[in-house]
Amino acid sequence: MKLPIRKIFSIFAVSIIACIIGCGKTDYLAEGIKIGVAEALTGPIAKYGVPIKNGFTLAAEEINAAGGINGKKINLVVDDEQGKKEEAINVFKKFIHKDKVLAIFGPTLSNSAFAADPTANAAKTVVFGTSNTADGITAIGPYVFRNSITESDILPEVVKMAKNKLNLKKVAMMYGNDDAFTKSGYDIFKKAVGAEKLQVVATETFAKGDIDFSAQLTKIKNLNPDAIICSALVEEAANIVLQARKLGIPANIHFIGGNGFNSPKLAEIAGNASEGIINGSPWFLGDPNKKNVAFIAAYKKKYGSEPDQFAAQAYDALYIMTEALKTLKFTGSLEDARTELRDALAKVKNFDGVGGNFSFSENRDAVQKARVLIVKNKKFTIYSE
Amino acid sequence: MSDFLISFWQTYNTLFYTIFIHGMLGLSIYLTLACGLLSLGNAAFMGIGAYTSALLTMKAGFPFGISLIAGGILPSMVALAIGIPTLRLSGVYLAMATLGFGEVVRVVLLNMEITGGSMGINGIPQKTELWHLVLIMGIIIFFFIRLRDSKYGRAMEAINEDEVASSVMGIRTTYFKVWTFTAGAFIAGVAGGLNAHFTYFISPREYGFEPAVDILTFAILGGTKTFWGPIAGSAILTVLPEMMRFMGPYRLAVNGIILLLVVLYLPNGIVSRGTFISLKKLFSERKSNA
Amino acid sequence: MFYQQLANALALGAVYSLFAIGFTLIFGVMEIITLAHGAVFMVGAFAGYTAATKFGLGIIPCLIISMAASGFIGFVLDLVAIRPLRKKKFHHLAPMIATIGCATIITSIYQGIFGAEAYRFPFDFVPNENYEFRGIQLTQLQLTIIFTSFILMIMMIFFLNKTKWGKAVRAVAENSRTGALLGIPVERVYQFTMIISSSFGGAAGVLTGLNFNTIHTFMGGPILHRGIAVIILGGMGDIRGAMAGGLILGFAEVLSVAYISSDFRDAVSFGLLFLILLIRPSGIFGKKIERKG
Repeated sequence: MKLPIRKIFSIFAVSIIACIIGCGKTDYLAEGIKIGVAEALTGPIAKYGVPIKNGFTLAAEEINAAGGINGKKINLVVDDEQGKKEEAINVFKKFIHKDKVLAIFGPTLSNSAFAADPTANAAKTVVFGTSNTADGITAIGPYVFRNSITESDILPEVVKMAKNKLNLKKVAMMYGNDDAFTKSGYDIFKKAVGAEKLQVVATETFAKGDIDFSAQLTKIKNLNPDAIICSALVEEAANIVLQARKLGIPANIHFIGGNGFNSPKLAEIAGNASEGIINGSPWFLGDPNKKNVAFIAAYKKKYGSEPDQFAAQAYDALYIMTEALKTLKFTGSLEDARTELRDALAKVKNFDGVGGNFSFSENRDAVQKARVLIVKNKKFTIYSE
Repeated sequence: MSDFLISFWQTYNTLFYTIFIHGMLGLSIYLTLACGLLSLGNAAFMGIGAYTSALLTMKAGFPFGISLIAGGILPSMVALAIGIPTLRLSGVYLAMATLGFGEVVRVVLLNMEITGGSMGINGIPQKTELWHLVLIMGIIIFFFIRLRDSKYGRAMEAINEDEVASSVMGIRTTYFKVWTFTAGAFIAGVAGGLNAHFTYFISPREYGFEPAVDILTFAILGGTKTFWGPIAGSAILTVLPEMMRFMGPYRLAVNGIILLLVVLYLPNGIVSRGTFISLKKLFSERKSNA
Repeated sequence: MFYQQLANALALGAVYSLFAIGFTLIFGVMEIITLAHGAVFMVGAFAGYTAATKFGLGIIPCLIISMAASGFIGFVLDLVAIRPLRKKKFHHLAPMIATIGCATIITSIYQGIFGAEAYRFPFDFVPNENYEFRGIQLTQLQLTIIFTSFILMIMMIFFLNKTKWGKAVRAVAENSRTGALLGIPVERVYQFTMIISSSFGGAAGVLTGLNFNTIHTFMGGPILHRGIAVIILGGMGDIRGAMAGGLILGFAEVLSVAYISSDFRDAVSFGLLFLILLIRPSGIFGKKIERKG
């Protein structure tokens, strides 16, 4: 009865001491160039946060092995934000005021970014999102950047190309309505469908964590659309495709997917049912460009699995940051360095990464050419004219 | 030292704000628990309050104080409307009905135009300051102290002990139950409004099933003998995950272990006689060791 | 389309029922809502997955292994979190909070082992054949799932009604003190109830993982939420009620998608629950609650 209580007390004491010691650091370059990485590493969102963290870690190791940035090593300070807004705010404040980082990567979800990014912006610290695609993220302030290409740049092209090649007339739409990522994908799809004058025969929704989509798909099947446009995260997407084929929706009715479809998990879960899925993204696993091939090999060697789009974007993001860091002199205080970094980062142009040529727009959003892809033999390949 | 304090405050001020918010939520569920009612609708009431006050400050330009009060009134009106039919349910059935109600609220928030659906509302101006929280918490605590020694407080205690007997004694049980339910919704709504005005952003998924269970955990872990219990429970459960950061990936597991140990060794909550006995034992053992 | 939707609802509802009967049995016997039942469900699914992929076993051995694994977790849960709190003077919700702690620990450990991503059973685990019957598409998998669920549920009812242990469980559920006076080892019955209920939760996990091709660490969340709805709908502690409740929820979800709007699916099913409770305060099949003096 007595021992565990004592243990609890000692854990409390240790953590208070650890926290106090942690607060005393002053020289912000003593441990290398500190960059905070705030991602969801535990909880249900971790399936996106962990690959992102892996991408950063891999890039940091490569950069440091090659001598760092003008002789200074990159020191990633990684912390978990669980995909919750209060946690994200807490981690950001800890990074800015306690760890004295130069810039922050993250958070994983757009929802958390809306809550946490204003904190960084107010403290004049660069926050760089690699997975936030919702509208209005960079409008939070001049210190907010992202290299995750917003779907409004990709999806209209995908819809246009699919319509022309498959001679589409009427489509059915499906999306996850309780998630900001899939909902904003749907909104963009809806606009694109309107612009292409396609008829929408049904719009069906589901919730995050759903596993059974047969009710929605049965309804869609009876309306005989030419294609199904679907904005979903990969687990749900794979299941939707699989269940559609099981219910007898023929393979010539293609699925057209949003950003969430771009993952090796899709073919892993859906198998043969994934054939013919159409999708658009700047990066894809099968891209033969040299940097990408090297990245995939290094990632596989280190983590034993294939990277997804989130890992690739994180990997590129640290290299983009490095481009800006190279130009910094580090003569003034931490506050000066943070502002200098912001200005340098805004100037990054024509960076050549695993996702191809990259620049920041004047609103600090990503400018990157998207490619329309199709699944053939369980792999994404370019959907050519 | 002052540098240290400033940097400490800058780092952890949101955490302190959250302790206050969670404390209010803990108290809001304590009100109904003190009447023997297990209501899990407080997360939904918090959501209604958060959306109401955020929309009033952003779209209608109301002053913060007024939108905060409105954020308390609307949930309590909803509570009044659903409370009259549901509060005759007992135990887990009431818990489930209120949980079902919460689910309906969440789905409605998801599908309304003005609430922004799953995208939520972002760019809510930051209006909540520490003194607001201290003041409101002070008022609530004052109210609870007065309540404890009043006719109302004694009636609630009687209903909690034995509902049938107290109704035979002439206590208007339904009246008191609806009253506590409504007052609890008011507190939760205000807490929601305060929360929305320092986190810049709200979305429906913050007010679903898990937060509802979390709020109950605050109260039960803290103890429901006095209203200090839920306050202590909320503070501990809010600070704990932050303190456990150094545990890295094992953070959640450690949280779970601590929760389990506290419940096992102090099953009546942290603010209970069990704690004093354990502390006594702990210190007497220290002495005998020395 | 209507008949196809009914078939969809049946496959969904069967798994809800299977999950809920263990859940409701625990409540009936021990008067505890164990919020770790979702975690137990996940443990069962992963045990079946591991058996299938690492050892290449078939569906029946996989089910048995997963029921054993989740039954063991149930035993541990009882030992660690529930039994120590079984004294009456404690707050009656304390065991529930303890099970929340356990659920967090179990899911964290599993996340440590398997990560957060989704897994699936091998593609040819159950022969992939489609049956068409008057325009209704049914896969062999769906038939297997419906069939297995009902066999398991019938076994449970048979066990409770016909065997000595089953009768002891029912006696304790009725009144534990009388049970003890009659010489029933009440503690053992509690332990046994946790084991058997958890193993049913685990079986539901395997079947869900099979049917919907997703096994991941957090799969217990949504079903726990629905499981609570099902057992309330059916009347707390009532096995047949839980079976019917699972099917009703399955039908309510599918039909609200088919004929109302998928936007409001959860609002319809939980709103329905809310209304049912207003009309019948102890669930559809629940007996009128009598106050214990």
